[in-house]
Amino acid sequence: MPEAEKVDIPEERQREILAIEAKLGANHFEVLGVPAGASKEDVRDAFHALSRRFHPDRFHGKELGSFRARIDTIFKRLVEANNVLTDPDKRQAYLDANPFVRAAIRAATGSTPAHQPEAPRSAEDDARDAERRARLSRHPYLARSSKVFEQLHKARAHIAKGEFSHAFTMLNLAAQIDPQNAEVKALLPEVRKKAELLRSETDYKRALTALEQGNDDLALQALRAAVNASASNAQAALKAAQLLEQRGGDVKEISSFAQKAVDAAPTNVEARVLLGRMLEQGGMKALAKKHFEEAARLGPDHPEVKKHVKKRWPF
Amino acid sequence: MAEREPVIGIDLGTTNSVVAFMQDGTPTVIRNRASTNLTPSVVALSKTGKMLVGQIAKRQAITNATDTVYAAKRLIGRKFSAPQTQDGVKSLSYQVSAGQHDDIRIQLGDKHYSVPEISAMVLRELKLDAEAFFGKPVRKAVITVPAYFNDGQRQATKDAGRIAGLEVLRIINEPTAAALAYGFGKSVNGKIAVFDLGGGTFDVSVLDVSSGVFDVIATGGDTYLGGEDFDNRLIEWLVFDFAKENGIDLRKDRMALQRLKDSSEKAKIELSSAKEAQINLPFISSPPGGGAALHLQKTLTREKFEELCGDLIARTITICEQVLNDAKVKSTDLKEMILVGGMTRVPKVVEAVKQFFRRDPCKGVHPDEVVALGAAVQADALTSADSEVVLLDVTPQSLGVAVAGGYVRRLIPRNTTVPTSVTEIFNTSKDEQTTVKIMVLQGEAEVAHQNELLGEFILTGLRSARRGEVEIDVTFEINSEGIVSVSARDRETGLQQSIQVTASGGLTEEELKRIMEEQADLLLEARTGEELQSRKLELKGLMKEVEDLMPELDKATQGSEFGQEAISKAKAALENARRAFESPVLSKVTESMDVLTRTVSLFKGVLERIK
Repeated sequence: MPEAEKVDIPEERQREILAIEAKLGANHFEVLGVPAGASKEDVRDAFHALSRRFHPDRFHGKELGSFRARIDTIFKRLVEANNVLTDPDKRQAYLDANPFVRAAIRAATGSTPAHQPEAPRSAEDDARDAERRARLSRHPYLARSSKVFEQLHKARAHIAKGEFSHAFTMLNLAAQIDPQNAEVKALLPEVRKKAELLRSETDYKRALTALEQGNDDLALQALRAAVNASASNAQAALKAAQLLEQRGGDVKEISSFAQKAVDAAPTNVEARVLLGRMLEQGGMKALAKKHFEEAARLGPDHPEVKKHVKKRWPF
Repeated sequence: MAEREPVIGIDLGTTNSVVAFMQDGTPTVIRNRASTNLTPSVVALSKTGKMLVGQIAKRQAITNATDTVYAAKRLIGRKFSAPQTQDGVKSLSYQVSAGQHDDIRIQLGDKHYSVPEISAMVLRELKLDAEAFFGKPVRKAVITVPAYFNDGQRQATKDAGRIAGLEVLRIINEPTAAALAYGFGKSVNGKIAVFDLGGGTFDVSVLDVSSGVFDVIATGGDTYLGGEDFDNRLIEWLVFDFAKENGIDLRKDRMALQRLKDSSEKAKIELSSAKEAQINLPFISSPPGGGAALHLQKTLTREKFEELCGDLIARTITICEQVLNDAKVKSTDLKEMILVGGMTRVPKVVEAVKQFFRRDPCKGVHPDEVVALGAAVQADALTSADSEVVLLDVTPQSLGVAVAGGYVRRLIPRNTTVPTSVTEIFNTSKDEQTTVKIMVLQGEAEVAHQNELLGEFILTGLRSARRGEVEIDVTFEINSEGIVSVSARDRETGLQQSIQVTASGGLTEEELKRIMEEQADLLLEARTGEELQSRKLELKGLMKEVEDLMPELDKATQGSEFGQEAISKAKAALENARRAFESPVLSKVTESMDVLTRTVSLFKGVLERIK
């Protein structure tokens, strides 16, 4: 972190900027944070939402240091992604040039828009296919790709059964044999994410059991592991933040957990309120206000929201 | 909370300018010291050597035609040799000449001013108005320009701001500003179109608005199409008919030309509500061989007006078509259609727009003020921390480099969201070529020389090789401030050259510095109190002049009905002026001056013809 230079941006925002900068190398969908194959309208909405946070004008007249270039780069990348994905011709050309993105769309939606579902297969077809595969796999030129194919096949079976950590292992093996394989490349991040979430959920359950037994320390340890395992486990992050708050933990750590919970589940009122409260304690009033307002918008009937709104506007 | 420094938004128009600011979250127009919302963009050097700006300058235009500058915006950032300049100069009543860099110089008295200097006088007037309103100095402003202005015109406008002592936070596009003002504080979602036909320029833009984000999708226009062109059509018509009847070209007489211009504009405005307008210009000319003075008297019907200007309106619609095409939007996809600019009061324009967009334009947008209000919204968005407004603007014209054969290779197409950057690989075009010249062009023409040249530089020391073997990376970049920079790099050696395009409307950096130093003394001039005093002195001068002229006129008209009527009117005006002289209200004084100036010019005109 370039803490040494003088930058007139709240630390929170700096982290946001660094986080999005880190993923600029990803494909256009990932850059905009939309599911692969998202519609033109969803792409546009995501682009607008990100513009509201990262357009250089939001930082006009501020001391930015190295962040000026970062922000410019981020916004240019967002524009590029939006331009390509909202123009049918450009989107088509992009997908043609990047088969792994197409594969990612297939993985995310089950099919590419261009592919029609095939006719149901008979047992005879399957047998014939198996025979052909076996024959081909013995051929020395094809040994490598057939091995990859085999791993992929197994991985798919695991995915179908919801065994993501097994699937992840298989895909990893496949990636070692042929790092350029488009389908493996496309599947790997998705499966990794799912496997992490699964592991995170196991940790989370462990934490709940520990809590029931009154062992807060163990629970906290399990929650930390759960949050570390997956950034998208909102429940675990929220629980960790709440538990820490009960125990009078460090405000910074609590807000970091609460932020993760909000990031993973932006509509969770509970998490917003907690984050808002922590930010307020941490002295970041403006940001806190934003979260309270968002919470009030999401769940005007939430008792704590009501209390807070009242506290802030007594008249 | 510490009081924030005031920031203003300025619509620097061809005919009128407006200044606005954000008052408790609502964009609001700041009235000028004569308590009107619109300040004419007119600058004049009075016979007494005083520089006049605004209403007071416009008022004396007829009697002081050669030293009154109007519509300077049509000249800003242009080359003197450009065809549009040459075309336009013919119908100007003031003197224009070429400067050192083929830029335009305007003569006032015996001094030659650059166009940004003239615009700066208008801007300074607005700045003073704002300062009088806030009671403290104003330093920061957002200024609007037509969307279709090129880089040179934008830079020249920025220079004008600097000369006027303003830090120009941003130059934004007029139609975008209008959309900002329209959508601000409302929950507008969807695509909107802005049709902006002003005094000198035409723009049309399509925006996609969603909760505070104003995303410009496409924009287009013509920087030489506006109310002035409609006026010129009327002038041509009047002059042509007069020449047919009397064999005299009225355009050669600068005072007559100014009177024609004045009455054409008035007739045009009248026709927005009336079916016909009278044009009455007594004593407009005297025959060269002597004889009775000639009068010009004509009736202009709305039909005739529409016939004269039909093709101008058709041009705006053609541009609309192109912009909708660029935006890939059908008129039925639009949620709203906003009309901006004084010319959108012309019924035929409204009709044509309605027919094309197949919808009624949005009501409740003030066509003269909305642009300044939008500029104020953007000024506030840039300077306050918690603004909800983000403007995603585009480059209105394509940018590229000249390539062998005299063609253009476009790197940044028009309607690209800024900031942006693009890199492309080029090759040498001849054997043994060790030097390449990078010419940066802006415009849509396929042929290089028909585009605007923004700048050029040379990359030398290339490896001597056969044509096409040396590869050069050319990078175009437009940053968030709208500044264009271009660099070229030899891929092999890493040798690099670059320029920042700062074409400044013909003003060199030193010149700009000199002008600002020269004017440093002037900046403290004009306080409201002082101004009232000086205007009163001028009023007194005018009163004296009328009083002196009255007996002369009485004698000359020899008791004719016309003479008697004129004299009784003048007496009433004098009475009114005496009352205004005692009043502390500036606007009363200036109004009265207005009446007296007209009386003087009428008297003088009559006397000149009769003698």
